[in-house]
Amino acid sequence: MTTEVLLIGLIVGVGTWAMRFLPTRLNVSSVDPDGPVSRFLNATGPAAITALTVAAFLPLLEADLRAMTLLSAGVVGTIAGFLVRRDISVATVAGAVAYGLAFWLL
Amino acid sequence: MLVFAGLDNHPIGQKNEPDREGVANEARPGTCNAPRRCFLMIGKRGLWAYRTRLCPLRPAIMTATLTAPKDSFRAGAAASLAITLGYFPVGVAFGIAAERAGLSALEAGFLSAVIYAGASQFLVLALLGTGAPLLVTALSIMATNLRHVLYGPAILEKARDRAASRHAWGWAGWLSDGAFGATIVALDKSREHFSERFMFGIGLGPYVSWVLGTLAGAVFGGAVSGYPALDAALGFLMPALFLAMLLALLSRRTLGVVIITALVTAPLILLVSPTVGIVGGMVAGALSGLIRWEGKFR
Repeated sequence: MTTEVLLIGLIVGVGTWAMRFLPTRLNVSSVDPDGPVSRFLNATGPAAITALTVAAFLPLLEADLRAMTLLSAGVVGTIAGFLVRRDISVATVAGAVAYGLAFWLL
Repeated sequence: MLVFAGLDNHPIGQKNEPDREGVANEARPGTCNAPRRCFLMIGKRGLWAYRTRLCPLRPAIMTATLTAPKDSFRAGAAASLAITLGYFPVGVAFGIAAERAGLSALEAGFLSAVIYAGASQFLVLALLGTGAPLLVTALSIMATNLRHVLYGPAILEKARDRAASRHAWGWAGWLSDGAFGATIVALDKSREHFSERFMFGIGLGPYVSWVLGTLAGAVFGGAVSGYPALDAALGFLMPALFLAMLLALLSRRTLGVVIITALVTAPLILLVSPTVGIVGGMVAGALSGLIRWEGKFR
């Protein structure tokens, strides 16, 4: 293993771990449940997932009928899978299967 | 309804919190609603029958009691199963990219094991060997993970009175985007899910899947490229995963936050960069949480 990979891995690894761990030492138990800090933190989850969803889907948007059909198949598959079982795993696999099937058929 | 509190530590009887999962459990036949159904059928005698072991539903009730508690390690692993499935192919993609960038399987696996953050790792590949100072490179890579700073407090805030962080040095390290999303979805159903065991259960599967996927990608590289439809399906796993998590969180309460975040994220990604778009959209969305959206979508 080269020294560069080892050092970069260790620095970024420790830094990422610290960014995830250190904020958990903050005492949020004293925060007013209806106050602004609580509302901000509660909105962080939906906001993060929405931002990541947008970031995941934007590269798939193309001005191409086949690409849009594949994307539609994947999205419809995911939504259908979710509506059937209300389960994230089922919805994820259903979306990927629908996308793969559409890819194979078109 | 609460007359069953304390009987054999029955999970439904322990609380009177009107959370979404509690409602779902009560409506599901053959599971924890058995005592309640018994009570509803024959009134107070149902309780008497249950206590005196004469209740015909007792075996079913006992079975339901023996299933994994909401806050167990197993429940956490089950909650993050989709992430575990989704991370493997992305790990494979990173392994292939690392192998093409000239890294050995050991080096690729090492990066996945110690960094465990997809975007940062791809950036490591792009910046390695560019001649930039090591610390500058490392800091710019870490900047892509800035959003992770909010994950721990957001989870602990959502867990409220159940919040604990004694072993957070362990489970917080596994708080990837997917693990965080799965935790929020679980806590949105019921904060009874939260325990440090549950958090270890949420984190372990995706982490192992990510590292194994990386090793598989680095070693077996191009095998998947022979099956384009499979390759395409695997490539859609992550978008499908995030969409599924979003669907699970979507409600009148969160709709305003979701709309604001999407409206800010998309142009920032297109005009500036994905990192700025994600962080900017996330902060804007979280700030929009200060508005009371509940009454605005009727």
